[in-house]
Amino acid sequence: MATDTEQDVATPEIGQFQQQESTRETVLLWVDDNLKWLMTLPAILILFSLTFYPLIRALQFSTLTYLPTGTTFVGIENYVDLLSDGAFINSMIVTAKFVGIAVAAEFVLGFAIALVLNKKIKFRGLWQTLILIPMILSPTVIGLIWRLMYAPNGLLDYMAAPFTGGANVGWISETSIALYSVILTDIWQWTPLVVLVLFAGLQSVPDDISEAAIMDGASRRQRFLHITLPYLKSLIVLILIIRLVDALRVFAKVFILTRGGPSDATNVISMEMYRTAFRFNNFGEASAMAVTLLVLVLILAMNFVKIANVEFGS
Amino acid sequence: MTTKQDTSADVAPYTEPSGFQEIHERLTDLGVTKVAVYAALGVFLVWSLFPVYWMVTATLKTRDTLLSFPPQWIPLDAQFGNYAQLFAQRPEFVTFITNSVIVTVVTTIIATTVGAMAAYAFVSFDYPYNLDFHLPFYILSTRFMPPIVTIIPLFVIFRGVGLVNTLRGLILVYTMFNIPFAVWMMKGFFEEVPESLVESAMIDGHTHLGAFFKIVLPLVKPGLIASAIFTTIITWNELLFAVILAQSAKAITVPVGLASFVTKFSVQWINMSVAATIALVPVLLFAFIARQQLVRGFSMGAVGK
Repeated sequence: MATDTEQDVATPEIGQFQQQESTRETVLLWVDDNLKWLMTLPAILILFSLTFYPLIRALQFSTLTYLPTGTTFVGIENYVDLLSDGAFINSMIVTAKFVGIAVAAEFVLGFAIALVLNKKIKFRGLWQTLILIPMILSPTVIGLIWRLMYAPNGLLDYMAAPFTGGANVGWISETSIALYSVILTDIWQWTPLVVLVLFAGLQSVPDDISEAAIMDGASRRQRFLHITLPYLKSLIVLILIIRLVDALRVFAKVFILTRGGPSDATNVISMEMYRTAFRFNNFGEASAMAVTLLVLVLILAMNFVKIANVEFGS
Repeated sequence: MTTKQDTSADVAPYTEPSGFQEIHERLTDLGVTKVAVYAALGVFLVWSLFPVYWMVTATLKTRDTLLSFPPQWIPLDAQFGNYAQLFAQRPEFVTFITNSVIVTVVTTIIATTVGAMAAYAFVSFDYPYNLDFHLPFYILSTRFMPPIVTIIPLFVIFRGVGLVNTLRGLILVYTMFNIPFAVWMMKGFFEEVPESLVESAMIDGHTHLGAFFKIVLPLVKPGLIASAIFTTIITWNELLFAVILAQSAKAITVPVGLASFVTKFSVQWINMSVAATIALVPVLLFAFIARQQLVRGFSMGAVGK
């Protein structure tokens, strides 16, 4: 029955069917011939139009007074203004402190935990999964979690009570403490990433080399300095660059915890940019900040790779 | 001992065990280091998980027990009504969740597909001017650019073409965001697929594109799942672009909704905890289901293989 119907339909139109088939084939052949471009085109197009093109526009905006009332070309005036902009300079200092302290602490703590995890321990997979939890959470949620921990009369005030005599510390409202409280949340979130990456590296150190070194009587410290560290070298550089670049753009945690306050004590550069652009509607100056930040990231990343190569002698 | 030293001149010379090492070895014999190892891991685990526990249990407390001295370590009189209360007081939260789900699902599908296609092409074709080497690096380098650098021009461009306050706009930006990771993740997986498989499929009458979809993609399923999970988590969590590109209720996502519970001076504690808990549950669930790929993905993504 089914075969009959198919034939009924197919027979009179067989010529057309063949022709359709051949157009289809031509298309498929054309697709296959150009496959290497067709397959990469969407990715390149999206990245070009949404990162490269906006970058050019950011450069252009940074030379304008871009206010809701209109735009005028002002050359490098926005950049010159930045040099005497106290809020901007303060945000650079705050960001430098944030990045320096957070990344250093994450690296040291993360390396230590990775070394511990590398010992013969039970349920390693479970430990590994559980300590990953902070880094998969949204920075927004993390901000809220720590807002609760830092709340007046909250858990941390209770734990600090023996030292403070029960007075509220003002973890995120006291100018001298707020930045360190924000840094602590970053350490909490990103130490696991350092653990994970360095642990993967430790696992890849071949056992036979360590064993040979033990046979030769190399001490624990010597083995660490001459075998483990050289093996981890590229991973250490990598994780430091990743953390450095990511810490430079911290936004959500500050936005949720302090909005840059109290009195700009936690006003990191992303926060200052956000305020300049979307609170004060000064797109020109904010773009100049953006370009400055980008140049800074590039210089840091490039120099870092260079220094690392010289230091470790690749 | 002396002979050993002689035969291995290139290795660091033998030194007497230091006092520290001796103590260490004696402690190891006693099982003390083992205890220390587990203690260190235990402390780190509590430090990593307790804040999450504190937030989740806060959803079951009252305003009085939430910030009490001494703290209520376990919510004794669990207030499950807090969950209903959030949706009664902030019914728009349902819309935020719907928006987030739509944006996340669509972004994940597009970014994973586009990323996988590009990764496959870079692995299996030769490009002029060494582009199969340079383009992946151009793609990777965009990951290092601080997103805030492009956000002002993107806002202006999107305002011009009517993409501000739309889910489409967010999907576009998040796709851009996730492509570099997907490309680098998938590259590693495609490199392990033998070329001969595709060739024999093409001899059997498949087109190259057909062979990619029917033969190659099923082989790299773990990679696809890992990229998809990463894209899902990153997209679901993102705040900065959402705050700037979605300001009206019809496009607000969960993170922006969450931010609205806190201002500089006051916090709606209970509603905030409930909403944050709802936001973190899907992430934890995904992480748990895919914990194998997660560990592999994080180390690979970071290692950039």
